[in-house]
Amino acid sequence: MGIIEKVPAYIERLPGGGIVTTSMDWVLNQSRASSLWYMLFGLACCAIEMMAAGASRYDFDRFGMIFRASPRQADLMFVAGTVTHKMSKRVKLLYEQMAEPSYVFAMGGCACNGGPFYYDCYSVLKGIDQVIPVDIYIPGCPPRPESLMEGCLKLQEKIKKEKMSDWASDRKEV
Amino acid sequence: MTKEQITARLKDKFGPELEIVENNQPEPYFYISMAKYYELCSYAKNDPQLDFDFLFQLGAVHYPDDRFEVALCLCSHEKNHKAVVKVRLDHDNPETVTISDIWKAANWFEREAMELFGIGFFGHPDPQPLLLYDDWDYGYPMRKGWTGPDFVPMPEK
Repeated sequence: MGIIEKVPAYIERLPGGGIVTTSMDWVLNQSRASSLWYMLFGLACCAIEMMAAGASRYDFDRFGMIFRASPRQADLMFVAGTVTHKMSKRVKLLYEQMAEPSYVFAMGGCACNGGPFYYDCYSVLKGIDQVIPVDIYIPGCPPRPESLMEGCLKLQEKIKKEKMSDWASDRKEV
Repeated sequence: MTKEQITARLKDKFGPELEIVENNQPEPYFYISMAKYYELCSYAKNDPQLDFDFLFQLGAVHYPDDRFEVALCLCSHEKNHKAVVKVRLDHDNPETVTISDIWKAANWFEREAMELFGIGFFGHPDPQPLLLYDDWDYGYPMRKGWTGPDFVPMPEK
């Protein structure tokens, strides 16, 4: 939260400033939406579908989505699988290590709300949104790669609507 | 050895302390009294004919009628036979002795049973929690009737 983040909000107030910010928005959003590098991070069987989506048959590479093995280089995190209470601290740590802007997918029933482990379970977190903010929820047990791709397209739409002037509000304080 | 031979050999040694469960499983099932539990394990490991060199499962069970049991699944690689040994525990004070000095595999299984069911294993070399998270303070989750934070019981059908 430096002064640089408030600059777009000031430019917008200047006469003609809106043209500058919307053009900049377009460039930034286009580049962000078409290079969503995701974190190589799987917790359970949903990770297999995530791998299938990344592999040649469904091929995430054509959206510019390449997996990165480090949260520092990743923009997107698929929480793919059952999140236990024990694991939730590690998931949160990984989310906090990702550089801004970072996006989160809750993939599958377990990550959305506990899924099949909702009842009579002592160890599973009832939804990853209790720990970190989630952008896209994908139901399914596990979801097909097609639904994962649908979610990615929805996220791209969401990214393309972002504005520089919204930067001043810190996303990580959700 | 066949199921009948294992049963006969253990029955000879332990007599009335050993209770045989009749079922149509390929391996024999026994209940052993608490007093002879360690002795049976030691015998099963060291007897050259039984030669149970491998413990592949030690599990605790809490039945709905509020009794605890510990069940061992034994296997012999050498003789290619298996057996299941169970021991009934006192339900107010579920305790037994450790067998981790006989089979080292029992060490972690017993820690798991200790943590999830609250069963005491007397003489365990390292009675630390194994699976639950560090600040767990909600009792023994695998017992019947356990509730804890954000626990949702299955609704009645």
